[in-house]
Amino acid sequence: MKIEHKELIVVGAGPAGLSAAIEAAKSGVKAIVFDENSKPGGQLFKQIHKFFGSKEHKAKIRGFKIGQDLLQEAEKLGVEVVLNATVVGLYPEKEIIVKIGGEVIHYKADAVLIATGASENMVNFRGWTLPGVIGAGAAQTMMNLHHIKPGNRVFMLGTGNVGLVVSSQLLQAGCEVVALADAAPKIGGYGVHASKVARTGVPFYLSHTIKEVEGEDHVTGVTIAQVDEHFQFIPGTEKHFAVDTICVAVGLSPMAQLLKMDGIVMDDTKGRTVPKCDRTGATSIPGIYAAGDVAGIEEASSAMIEGRMSGSAIAAYLGYLSSDSSEHRVDTLENSLSSLRQGMFAPENRGKKIETTEEGIAISQNLLKAGFVTDDEITRFPGFRKEMKVHPVLECTQNIPCNPCQSACAKGCISIGEHMTSLPISVDGSTCVNCGMCVASCSGQAIFLVAEETRAGFGEVTIPYEFLPLPAEGDGGFALGRDGKKLCETTITRVRTSKAYDGTALVTMEVPTEYIDKARFYKKIG
Amino acid sequence: MLDIQKKLKEIGPFVPEEDDDLLVCRCEEVTKGEIRKALHQGITTVEELRRFLRCGMGLCQGQTCGMITRRIVAKELKIPMGAIEPATARVPMRPIEMEIAGNEKK
Ligand SMILES: Cc1cc2nc3c(=O)[nH]c(=O)nc-3n(C[C@H](O)[C@H](O)[C@H](O)COP(=O)(O)OP(=O)(O)OC[C@H]3O[C@@H](n4cnc5c(N)ncnc54)[C@H](O)[C@@H]3O)c2cc1C
Ligand code: SF4
Ligand code: SF4
Repeated sequence: MKIEHKELIVVGAGPAGLSAAIEAAKSGVKAIVFDENSKPGGQLFKQIHKFFGSKEHKAKIRGFKIGQDLLQEAEKLGVEVVLNATVVGLYPEKEIIVKIGGEVIHYKADAVLIATGASENMVNFRGWTLPGVIGAGAAQTMMNLHHIKPGNRVFMLGTGNVGLVVSSQLLQAGCEVVALADAAPKIGGYGVHASKVARTGVPFYLSHTIKEVEGEDHVTGVTIAQVDEHFQFIPGTEKHFAVDTICVAVGLSPMAQLLKMDGIVMDDTKGRTVPKCDRTGATSIPGIYAAGDVAGIEEASSAMIEGRMSGSAIAAYLGYLSSDSSEHRVDTLENSLSSLRQGMFAPENRGKKIETTEEGIAISQNLLKAGFVTDDEITRFPGFRKEMKVHPVLECTQNIPCNPCQSACAKGCISIGEHMTSLPISVDGSTCVNCGMCVASCSGQAIFLVAEETRAGFGEVTIPYEFLPLPAEGDGGFALGRDGKKLCETTITRVRTSKAYDGTALVTMEVPTEYIDKARFYKKIG
Repeated sequence: MLDIQKKLKEIGPFVPEEDDDLLVCRCEEVTKGEIRKALHQGITTVEELRRFLRCGMGLCQGQTCGMITRRIVAKELKIPMGAIEPATARVPMRPIEMEIAGNEKK
């Protein structure tokens, strides 16, 4: 049996693995990356939405584009990426067994990085094994990689960011999302993601979960019911929906088996098994590192930085970089990472009840329960402002690590300030030139351009729009409120697309002045 | 390590529940009732459950049912999730045909 020798073997070509390989290769390390998929990029290639964060975190760029960029960078640096290569084992002395085609190949490496990501959790309600019950990530794979519509009428279980993002993508794919439910009493993901879904008219059921899924040989319906604080069903609260697909988005579990089988010390908290690591992902065995979701579920943005930190440490471990320079680089990266881990959704705030924003403004309770800020609540946030002439209204009401809107506006109409998690402010006295860049750059699709009065009794609202077909100028229809309910009839006065908007269309509709602070979505007649 | 006799006394006899017929491990078709019964017969770890019932030993190697199983164990034995010894991970991490497993590159 032949054993091939490599300097650095990376398992998983997701954002963590690719970033680590890039960072190490920059210092001269020869890296090889194995991925069992036929396409590199891990989860990134399914993510067609724009990312949060700031510029250094690749904010407002769509996930798949970030993946393409990483791959290009890796190739340029001579990183070898081997696809359809399943790593089936990690043995002592850093021996790795890879299944490629009909063979298994043994490798030995000086350093190993495990970046295998995570898999989706399941819940076993009655009927969970029926065809039509799928993971939300699976639905995303079907839609965004294989261009297959997962179903026609979909019920989503789970309101974390995955549940919310996949729901809006299902809507984009032309599916009807009948409802979202979560056993928790409040929506778990970002409010701006929830609002995107809510304003299309999709209802949220909090403190509800699936009781039973019906069907003979495939899903035909679902019954949900309310649960009490001990997650027990409350009799008489059942609701039924006729659906053909159930998407489950109830969290992810790290795929850490490779590390475990090698005898690495694991940390077992809350039923999740992750390797014990230092800040660079160094595990209990020298030369073996872990980065990304496998070391703790987070996001692609953080996985990329973690990967870079590991890559830099590996370069030092292999003698390509002095430990001083590596430490220095890791410090810088850690700062960038901690800026992402701020705000209401920061790891240390998980499970905490937050009543006010960092600015001391009461949180919209309706946003947490129904997915949208009410007409009365929105006026207390600094992104809301009234002016006759066109101006931005920023309906971003939670402290999240995100700020592309600020840099998008060359006119200084939007201010977030130093602190990335601060709420965006619609700046008083600034002059908006209606360029639309802010609307298109907002990952949360939470920015609207409002002109209170364009002719007597009427004003205009410009909304971000990512559905096809696009409406056309002169089209009639209804303006919908933040709750997705019909407000009034409207006419489309302008539809803007541009390369600079990167796929987001700007649709302007005319509404009577009384609805100017309420109209936030458009629906065609019929 | 749990004191099994003490634990069995503490949790009392097996009481059937209406959803005992629910599948937990779909690969190996193991139900919630079978797992609960096994726990009342003195099994206390996921590893033992795997050997006794084969739950988590199928195609996905417990990646789907692992958490559900652990939740059942925690509830039934009245212990926190973190206190449950997880199953051992073994090569191969993914299912692999014997023909390929034996076909090592020369
Ligand atoms: C539906 C969904 C939406 C999301 N939306 C966002 C978002 O908007 N913003 C954000 O920042 N994050 C988002 N995330 C989270 C983000 O995708 C992950 O945190 C990130 O991809 C983790 O990166 P990773 O490199 O650790 O793992 P992954 O991206 O999962 O990559 C792991 C790779 O390892 C490979 N692999 C695994 N095991 C083996 C093996 N044995 N042999 C060979 N290869 C193997 C896999 O094929 C995969 O390509 C989302 C996640 C999901 C599921
Ligand atoms: S439309 Fe242009 S000028 Fe107006 S706020 Fe947005 S980015 Fe600034
Ligand atoms: S308004 Fe600004 S901070 Fe809020 S989601 Fe949009 S781009 Fe991010």
